[in-house]
Amino acid sequence: MKTQVLVIGSGAGGATTAYELARAGVDVTVLEEGKRHDRAKTYGLGTTEGMKHLYRRRGMTPILGRVPIGYVEGSCFGGSTEINSGFWHRTPREVLARWQAQFDLEGASPEELAPHFAWAEEALSVSLSGRPFEKSTEVFARGAAAMDWAAHEVPRAATGCKSTNSCAVGCPTGAKQGMSISILPRAEAAGARVLTSARVRLLIKQGSRITGVLAEVELEDGARKLVRVDAEHVFVCAGPTETPALLRRTGIKFHVGDTLRIHPMLKVVARFRERIAAYDSVLPVLQVREFSPEVSMGGAFFTPGHAALSLSDNWDPARLDAIENMAGYYVAVRGRGRGQVRSSQLGDGETMLRYELAEEDVVNLSNGLARLATLLLAAGAEEVYPTVQGMAPITSEKQAIRWLDERLPRSALSLTTVHAFSACPIGERTDRCAADSYGKVPRWDNLYVNDASMLPDSPGVNPQGSVMAFARRNALHFLSRLGPS
Amino acid sequence: MGRHRKTMIALGLLASAVFLFLAVRRLDFASLRAIFARADLLPWVPLGVLSYVAGHVVRGLRCRLLVRREANLRLVTASNIVVVGYAANNVFPARLGELVRAGMLAERTGIPIAQSLVVTFIERVLDGLAILLLLVVGTMNGGAPGWTGDLVRVALLVFGGACAVMLFAVYSPALVVAGASRVGNRLGPRWHDRLVGLATSITNGGACLRDPKNAVWILFYSAVVWVLETGLFLAILPVFGLAPSFTAAAVAMSVTNLGLLVPSSPGFIGPFHFFCSRALMTHGVDEATALAYATVVHLAFYVPVTLWGAASMLWYGVEVGATAAMTREARAAGKELEIGGVVLHELATLSPATADEPASAFTTALVEAIVVPSGKRVEPTALRDAADFVHGQLGSLQPQLAMLFEGGMTFFRLVTRVRHLRGYCDLPLDTRRAWTLSWAESRYGLLRKLFKPVRATALLAYFDHPAMRASIVVPAKQLARKKGAASSAAPSGSAATGVEAE
Repeated sequence: MKTQVLVIGSGAGGATTAYELARAGVDVTVLEEGKRHDRAKTYGLGTTEGMKHLYRRRGMTPILGRVPIGYVEGSCFGGSTEINSGFWHRTPREVLARWQAQFDLEGASPEELAPHFAWAEEALSVSLSGRPFEKSTEVFARGAAAMDWAAHEVPRAATGCKSTNSCAVGCPTGAKQGMSISILPRAEAAGARVLTSARVRLLIKQGSRITGVLAEVELEDGARKLVRVDAEHVFVCAGPTETPALLRRTGIKFHVGDTLRIHPMLKVVARFRERIAAYDSVLPVLQVREFSPEVSMGGAFFTPGHAALSLSDNWDPARLDAIENMAGYYVAVRGRGRGQVRSSQLGDGETMLRYELAEEDVVNLSNGLARLATLLLAAGAEEVYPTVQGMAPITSEKQAIRWLDERLPRSALSLTTVHAFSACPIGERTDRCAADSYGKVPRWDNLYVNDASMLPDSPGVNPQGSVMAFARRNALHFLSRLGPS
Repeated sequence: MGRHRKTMIALGLLASAVFLFLAVRRLDFASLRAIFARADLLPWVPLGVLSYVAGHVVRGLRCRLLVRREANLRLVTASNIVVVGYAANNVFPARLGELVRAGMLAERTGIPIAQSLVVTFIERVLDGLAILLLLVVGTMNGGAPGWTGDLVRVALLVFGGACAVMLFAVYSPALVVAGASRVGNRLGPRWHDRLVGLATSITNGGACLRDPKNAVWILFYSAVVWVLETGLFLAILPVFGLAPSFTAAAVAMSVTNLGLLVPSSPGFIGPFHFFCSRALMTHGVDEATALAYATVVHLAFYVPVTLWGAASMLWYGVEVGATAAMTREARAAGKELEIGGVVLHELATLSPATADEPASAFTTALVEAIVVPSGKRVEPTALRDAADFVHGQLGSLQPQLAMLFEGGMTFFRLVTRVRHLRGYCDLPLDTRRAWTLSWAESRYGLLRKLFKPVRATALLAYFDHPAMRASIVVPAKQLARKKGAASSAAPSGSAATGVEAE
């Protein structure tokens, strides 16, 4: 017995695809590698429990390179939308124009995407918070105002946020509209079947078709089975790193996994004169867009553990005594370097990530640090501690602006990222795209990619909005080709 | 009895007869009788038997480790399974004992028969390499006849090739399964599922070797097994007044066991005597003494293990033919499952997910050195939980990274022992802290990278632990109460002061 459409992954791309197809009457099965958790028991339990239950490889998925970069993504029912901030951006007009020019991307003008963004925004109740800023946002806003830089509150898919500071470990109140609470229940209500704890190891190829998948399934009693699931059409929505890895494991390698892009992020901890208690509130919701899309600045998830982690590059535990007055911020750049996703030849074909920072990345990070530190000092920070090995705290504007002219030493950088994409770029340029403008993989009659890996290049903003809008557009395009079911 | 099986048995008996003839064709039976009359059996024979039997216990340890992911075998059961295989080889021709052993392993552990055969294959490959190593050691002092060199080359080709196949299956399971899927697809869905199921069983069979610690132990056990078997050959030398020489015993043991690869009659009668006596003759021992020696070694090799194996077979009620039955059972795979309305075609059973294990003493000591600031009291619950978390996180690294990390930490522990003349865990906390920091904040980027994962996860887990959080963070309500009670002279807005005052 075959399922009509098999969707691999239940994150922003997979959930949207499953919903749109099921709603149209298509027989849909979703295979999700992670588990379906009971919100009351597993969400909001703290960093360690969150990482154990909701993150891929418990959050131990570094991107290797001359400068290793910490990277995390979700692996659970709802994917990374369960552990992100819920920030919402439409793809910037300028970025879409560039994608069109560079990748011959069809059907992706701001006007063509607008209804898809509008649908997602309504489905997730995307809105501004509508209440006074928490202290960590307030001081950041004060700094931006002092610098006279463009800054705005980012809309979030988090209606009625209770400010529990649990975004990164699963929202326990259900305010944040991760896929598990928003789109997936609708998809299931429309008839989609979702099987969790099912890791797809391989696509089964026959001629020019994918006939199904091989998957490892964990049963309720803990037993694990290798199973085959047959399908007429397969949408791979396993995320920005797993989608290319799965395709490569299957032997589909044409422009797959060669162009991983990320937003490298440098964090700082700022110590203010006043009490901030950033660990007790939602992360700062204001972003400075003065230098976007190349450089953006905002607030980072902050707990005592994250503070210790950020301070560890120049470790002095006494600094934690002032944790009440601290908050975490970041500068992120639109990465110009190029990364790779590879499926290891050893072991179970584990995904290996590589990324080499481009020279512009280092320049942008240096300039970004200078500007972020200046902003924070203007906001009243007494000391700014960057995650740069061996760098003394920044206590004056003079120390900060040094990095407008100098470059941070690569070997001393401690970078992280939570945004990855573009390892299977879509577009009509066959010399650089892994799939056509609507995600169909060339040479395969029934294979599609429909998640963050399809974004042709770095969007320069949080990618969830872009992923959902493109995924819906592609799903509807697929339905139009499929005909009445 | 099938025609094929009859032919196999006939060929085995023929091989035995040929080798027995070769062994005795020039023998002076009168001198053989005289040699036996002068033989000094005690205490050498019991010692040899003890060494040989101990080798089977170590084989049991190795077998237990090889299937650890699938089953928690007791040592006595694992040893019995091993011995049943050897005993069956002594009773049945053409090394059929290997199948009996695989069948019993499958029956006792519940693993598929194909996987059980792979475990046996791995053991044989490792045995071959250990025997080869001992043969090289035994012939290193020169003076060995040319044929021993040829034997080494042939054995190297056979076992080296088998080892390459084994390593590929063990360390590239994804490629093996993908290959099986591709080939199977050309043959139709039924063959696809069978081949993928078989490939999965094969790759599962060697999964334990992917853990570097397990792999090292399994290699170590393999070496010990054959050193102990050499002990049997060594102990019998003085029975006939021969000087106990490890190299002579190693050569005799190696040549004999490589010779036994030739399928022959039950109990290897013929090939055993031929190869053992010829190996000993290369050390200047006369033919009659060498044959007498081979006969006694063979009896010590044959009788105890056959009796032990027979007792085990009776105990477990294993019947000849169980292997075939279990193979049929394994073929039943391919049934359909339905979970949550999704139809799944089951191809193979995989090892269950392993539960989290508590941190080792080393990891705990390392985490303590990283997270507990100088002059501050350790929070024991937070430390224990942080160490367990770090242990779990490091276990989640990709295998290649985990291997690099393990290698780096072994180097760190080695340097620690050389530098401080003590193990890392035995160092006082202050020394440990300073020493760890000197690596974690080293000017060498590689050392910093080595410590980054453990340091990052340890700090995150320790300072986010509820016990630690309570000690460094003042809850808003408590702060409001404190502010109300505090005098207006207190430094306003200084949380640091607040914490100290508390």
